[in-house]
Amino acid sequence: MKKWLSVVCLFALMGGFTACTKKKNTSEKVLNLVTPAKFSGYDPAFAADLYAGNETTRVYEGLLEYHYLKRPYVLQPNLAEAMPSVSADGLTYTFKILKGVMFHDSPAFPGGTGRELVAKDFVYSFKRLADPKLQSTGWWLFDGKIKGLNEWRKKYENAAAVNYDDEIDGLKAVDANTLEITLSKPFPQFLYSLAMPFTVVVAREAVEHFGKEFLNHPVGTAAFMLKEYDQSNTITYLRNPKFREKFYPSEGEESDKANGLLENAGKKIPFVDKVVVQIMVEDQPRWLNLQKGSVDYAAIPKDNFSSVVQADKTISKDLADKGMSLVWAPQLDVTYIAFNHDNKLFKDNLKLRRAMSLAYDEVKGNELFYNGTGLSAQSVVPPGIAGFVKDFKNPWRQYNLEEAKKLLAEAGYPGGKGLPKMTYDTTSNTVSRQMGEFFAKGMEAIGIKVEVVSNTWPELVKKTNNKSTMLFGIAWGADYPDAENFLQLLYCPNKAPGSNSSNYCNAEFDKIFAKASVMQDSPERTALYEQAYKMAADQVPWIFGLHRTSFVVKHNWLKNFKLTEFTHGLEKYLDVDTNIKTENSKKL
Amino acid sequence: MNIYVYLLRRTLYIIPVILGVTFLIFILFNIVAGDPTPLLLGRHATVEQIAELHHQLGLDKPLYAQYFDIVKSAFTFDFGRSWATKQEISQMIIKGAGPSLSITLPAFFIATIMSVIISLVASYYRGGKIDIVVRFCCIAGQSISSMAYILFFQKILAFKFGWFEISGYEFGFPEMIPFILLPIIIDIVLSVGPDVRFYRTVILDEIYQDYVRTARAKGLSELVILFKHVLKNAMIPIITYVIIQLPFLILGALLLESFFSIPGLGGITLNALNSSDFPVIKAMAVLSAVAYIIFSLLTDILYTVVDPRVRLK
Repeated sequence: MKKWLSVVCLFALMGGFTACTKKKNTSEKVLNLVTPAKFSGYDPAFAADLYAGNETTRVYEGLLEYHYLKRPYVLQPNLAEAMPSVSADGLTYTFKILKGVMFHDSPAFPGGTGRELVAKDFVYSFKRLADPKLQSTGWWLFDGKIKGLNEWRKKYENAAAVNYDDEIDGLKAVDANTLEITLSKPFPQFLYSLAMPFTVVVAREAVEHFGKEFLNHPVGTAAFMLKEYDQSNTITYLRNPKFREKFYPSEGEESDKANGLLENAGKKIPFVDKVVVQIMVEDQPRWLNLQKGSVDYAAIPKDNFSSVVQADKTISKDLADKGMSLVWAPQLDVTYIAFNHDNKLFKDNLKLRRAMSLAYDEVKGNELFYNGTGLSAQSVVPPGIAGFVKDFKNPWRQYNLEEAKKLLAEAGYPGGKGLPKMTYDTTSNTVSRQMGEFFAKGMEAIGIKVEVVSNTWPELVKKTNNKSTMLFGIAWGADYPDAENFLQLLYCPNKAPGSNSSNYCNAEFDKIFAKASVMQDSPERTALYEQAYKMAADQVPWIFGLHRTSFVVKHNWLKNFKLTEFTHGLEKYLDVDTNIKTENSKKL
Repeated sequence: MNIYVYLLRRTLYIIPVILGVTFLIFILFNIVAGDPTPLLLGRHATVEQIAELHHQLGLDKPLYAQYFDIVKSAFTFDFGRSWATKQEISQMIIKGAGPSLSITLPAFFIATIMSVIISLVASYYRGGKIDIVVRFCCIAGQSISSMAYILFFQKILAFKFGWFEISGYEFGFPEMIPFILLPIIIDIVLSVGPDVRFYRTVILDEIYQDYVRTARAKGLSELVILFKHVLKNAMIPIITYVIIQLPFLILGALLLESFFSIPGLGGITLNALNSSDFPVIKAMAVLSAVAYIIFSLLTDILYTVVDPRVRLK
């Protein structure tokens, strides 16, 4: 009798537990997103990382944006009526601003009602990036590029306050709807800056009204408005009822139609009423919440990869049966092991660099650390950008121990004799350390001793800035889809503490780069980029790693989802099919 | 000595302790840890920008002035803003304390009551089967890392069985209940092992005292001896153990909060550690030091209540 009583009690307890979860409403048009990190608030002047950029651009918009479906990435007007007219000397860009765009309602405005966007708002927003009191992390975008802006910044460096009403030659609101930007030197990549989260438009009233709390009270023009962000781990956005008429794209890549990405072509966006973003720092809860349907899509944690993605890059059967699918796309990035060329050992020692490159088994590294999904990097520019040379094989990028040993002997270090013990600096997380150990093991095979040194990220940055490393493992992701953003990593004037942290200098390379980087997009420029690409491959300034691939699992109820490197403003294109969601949720 | 003089003296002790804590923090973050500005300004920072930010953060001041700044922030509780989230740290602490306490407080009370009862039962059956099973379970339970419990319980109880929410938090009662139940259960499981082992030792120490033998000789029942006499005498070490844990309740549970997306101080601290958010780490270190001092003072006062033989001097 007692036994039966225990069993009954246990079931009663379990029954009680089932009431401990919240009921999900699958009939609402709600987008459930997840982000893996807390972010630095809604001030676009500090939207330096991906996560801050994503949240900021849910409420704010800029002059330009990337076409959602087209690849290679193409810029298109967002708050501008059209792409700008450019003066013959390539210095002056004139934008016509869209009329009738309203800021979100906010107590910052008289009567609490948002006012119409004007050209002056962009002048103010761009000046904020230059404000020396603000120390925006986006200043590099405009530093030395807009006529008069550096002088304006300098003027207020030691002043108590900054006057935003000063006229600047390079930033003019000609009339309410005309913005004129004059550059101090030709810089064709400038337009990409205007599609970045740093350059979205803010209202001066909101910045002044909220003061230091501006970062918690975003007032933008975008399709969604912030409803709740109270330091909790959930952020809620509601559809902006005053959002202008904007439509889902009608063209894209060839495969987009087959993938159902053009089914909503020409329809008014946004499609959902609410966006809920949950901050989940750890992999497991993110992954489990996706499988339970609490999240619409998520990246696959490294440890789950092999059980989710099959050899032919399709999703496992059990997830497919639950109504999920796999989406993948190459990333615009490159991983590499940098030689510090400020160190005499590597500076003029091409044979040593080549020998070390040949001794690194990248194919095995790809298997071990990226589940074999990366694309071997032959040089510095990733595929999908003009300047990448298709089918090019870097002869120093193949695993060949015999050739490596031969070159090492020719360099004067037979069997590694005479070489000092090298150090390989990396960050202290487990995978980075393992990558370091894998590299050290590869070098050991030709007699080179490498010690792996773990650093916190600030320590590593400090070391590279001080030029005190020998070798270090790192990656670079595109700020914008132009080869210039990658080739500049090897441009001598950018030496540390600039972005050329390997301190590589090659007069011939610099000449090609300097010429190409100021040219408008053209076949001539692409030819120069390709020349620089091949030169970098030949000179082995780094041991090239790979270009990574993004893998995402999504629920089939999520419509219009296409992987993009530039995720800003993505949510306005996404839709949730509530019928499929109600049906599929039963299987989860 | 008057208890008020004692209290005043103990309160004044806070000053040298805070000076010591801030000195350690200063050595760790301002001297050993190195320059935080490249991290703050991002990968495109120029030398001029770094110099400007040094100035704004006061890192170009002489070291003694930088130390004074930290001491000042400890006494005024004005720690500025977080580097990572740009939020005001005092606000982060105020808002984070609630979610942390909503998990640690109930877990702590339940775990303490359960542990004391289990310890008494184990002590009653000392050396017997029940005692052996209790000891075995405690040691076995403690041998598994807390991370393993979290991963396992979250995956099995929340995901597979669907008994609880996988993660998340809602402010307000009863909205928070579905989200805090599983973290509380895990917290209890994590605490019971070490607690029972400690309480059992304390109680066993008492059980072999002369007064217990006398009580038995008088013919008192074992239950009366355990609950009325032994427990009362074991109270001092139990209170010390309990109160010393209290300040850490407000600081939350680092891993639990991180895995269950609870917006408490534990998650904030872990996030700050991962992102080298020095102002937040400094604030949490000072906060824990102050809380520790206050609660150890409270322990001393409670001793006099529990045991009249103890006098505060």
